[in-house]
Amino acid sequence: MPDLRTTFCGVDLETPIVNGSGTLDALVAGTLGLGAFVTKTVTLHPREGNPPARIAETPAGMVNSIGLANPGLDRFCESHLPRLGELPVPVVVSVGGWSREEYARAVSRIGSHPAVAALELNVSCPNVDTGCISIGTDAVETRMLLERCRAETDLPLLAKLSPSVADVSRIALAAAEGGAAGLVLINTVRGMAIDRVTLRPLLGGGGGGLSGPAIKPVALHAVYHAFRETGLPIVGMGGVATAQDCLEFLAAGAALVGVGTALFRDPALPVALSAGLAALLDERRFETPAHCVGLAHQRSPQPSPQLEGSER
Amino acid sequence: MSQVDASGGTQGSDPAVPLAYRRLAIARVEPVGAYTLVVLRNDGGEVGVPGQFFMVRAHPEPAGAYLPRPLSAAWADSRELAFLLDVRGEGTASLAVARQVDVLGPLGHGFELREGPSVLVGGGIGAAILPWLARALAPTPKAVLGFRSESHAVCAGLIDPEATVVLDPVVVTEPLARMLPFEGTVYACGPDPMLHAVAALCAEHDVPCQLAMEAAMACGFGACYGCAVRIDGEWKRLCVEGPVVPAERVMAGA
Repeated sequence: MPDLRTTFCGVDLETPIVNGSGTLDALVAGTLGLGAFVTKTVTLHPREGNPPARIAETPAGMVNSIGLANPGLDRFCESHLPRLGELPVPVVVSVGGWSREEYARAVSRIGSHPAVAALELNVSCPNVDTGCISIGTDAVETRMLLERCRAETDLPLLAKLSPSVADVSRIALAAAEGGAAGLVLINTVRGMAIDRVTLRPLLGGGGGGLSGPAIKPVALHAVYHAFRETGLPIVGMGGVATAQDCLEFLAAGAALVGVGTALFRDPALPVALSAGLAALLDERRFETPAHCVGLAHQRSPQPSPQLEGSER
Repeated sequence: MSQVDASGGTQGSDPAVPLAYRRLAIARVEPVGAYTLVVLRNDGGEVGVPGQFFMVRAHPEPAGAYLPRPLSAAWADSRELAFLLDVRGEGTASLAVARQVDVLGPLGHGFELREGPSVLVGGGIGAAILPWLARALAPTPKAVLGFRSESHAVCAGLIDPEATVVLDPVVVTEPLARMLPFEGTVYACGPDPMLHAVAALCAEHDVPCQLAMEAAMACGFGACYGCAVRIDGEWKRLCVEGPVVPAERVMAGA
């Protein structure tokens, strides 16, 4: 069987399946067989998050407006980080903020903790009015943020990008120029759901972020173009629910594959995805996931042995 | 012991019991007035305590419902897991016609069963979780139940044939007020305005009160942060803190 062990930006993982930021609390539920654990985004000051309703079901997915609820940098470092260090997998801490200096302070403090393998800079949260996404929708701001944070840590910095921009590959390139070691694509897509009876927004904040299988094509497109533009290692996510989805994200250019909304529906999913991905790689005679990364960019098709048998 | 140690007591290590859905066969489905009783064959599965909850979805999955539904059991033991449903959307409708159901749980914190007399207060489909609690408490509790119509009130018979039942526009706090104070505990489940009124009334009479609350949830295990409820004066995850919460924690800063 293929060997799923993957090295990503110098971090060794048992499987390329990870969670998207904000889709698991490993201190409550454990790490569920993931190759690495990505924390919910931490900000300098504590945030209660948005008033309910925070989630609503939509066709093939959901919209959410959580609003970066988190304990803030001090409490995170004092009470969460030491416990995260006991998890059996590498920990990636996601950081958000309203200015370069806020990000830099968080990166400096969190990046010096031995429990942390890498840092994600969330510049793409759609559920706060300012900050975060207003950086990630501007190429120059994105580059300057990466440069500023690059000076604060030797750990790999990953830029978590939004698909809600005119050209995600421009932002990806800016992150690469600023010193990003890798990219995380995509955050949720801006969306809304209306109550069928009251005809008012279902979410307390009005709009929110759309996730689930509905956004998979958007995510594949973003990963494909960011990979082509930068060649950086990518954590691909957006609507991943099956092993076939994982394979397609690898082909688009992702080295790791993230799950989120599908994890809400099934906490046993990471284990099933690893087993399913190994079987799919084996069918195609790939020895590791890395052999599949970026295949969608090759001109000649990569038929599977099964397809050769059945269609020729 | 629930599968998720929601108190955060896992202390950074993975819980011993992995979180996984179990697929259960439906034993029977029957109307209870306006509500629908769905009884699953539990096959010896863990059930926890009254007031804990399960994430539940039909198998095969309905096209129109992507997420499982959080439900507390009407009653549960090693043989049966019963849910009383108010069928409203595709998610609940699919449960009533399914042949199999996927179940995750028990999850969260249930009622803390206290010694001495007790009163159960239920509003609407909130009464759905009281039959099990009524059986678990000794001495037999009194029940005060409010419904919007006679057909919704039929389920009162599952809880206590002697229950005090009121219909809209009468509210449960009217008969409850006549029973207070007493040396015992009030356990309540129903819509938020009812819970806050019951909590205020109990606080006035210094009677301990536990509230089983409701919120939309995507996961049930602390991951999605969707089920925010005002607890201790902050938005907190109901799946982690509750769904049963001491009334004073809900009233704090309310």
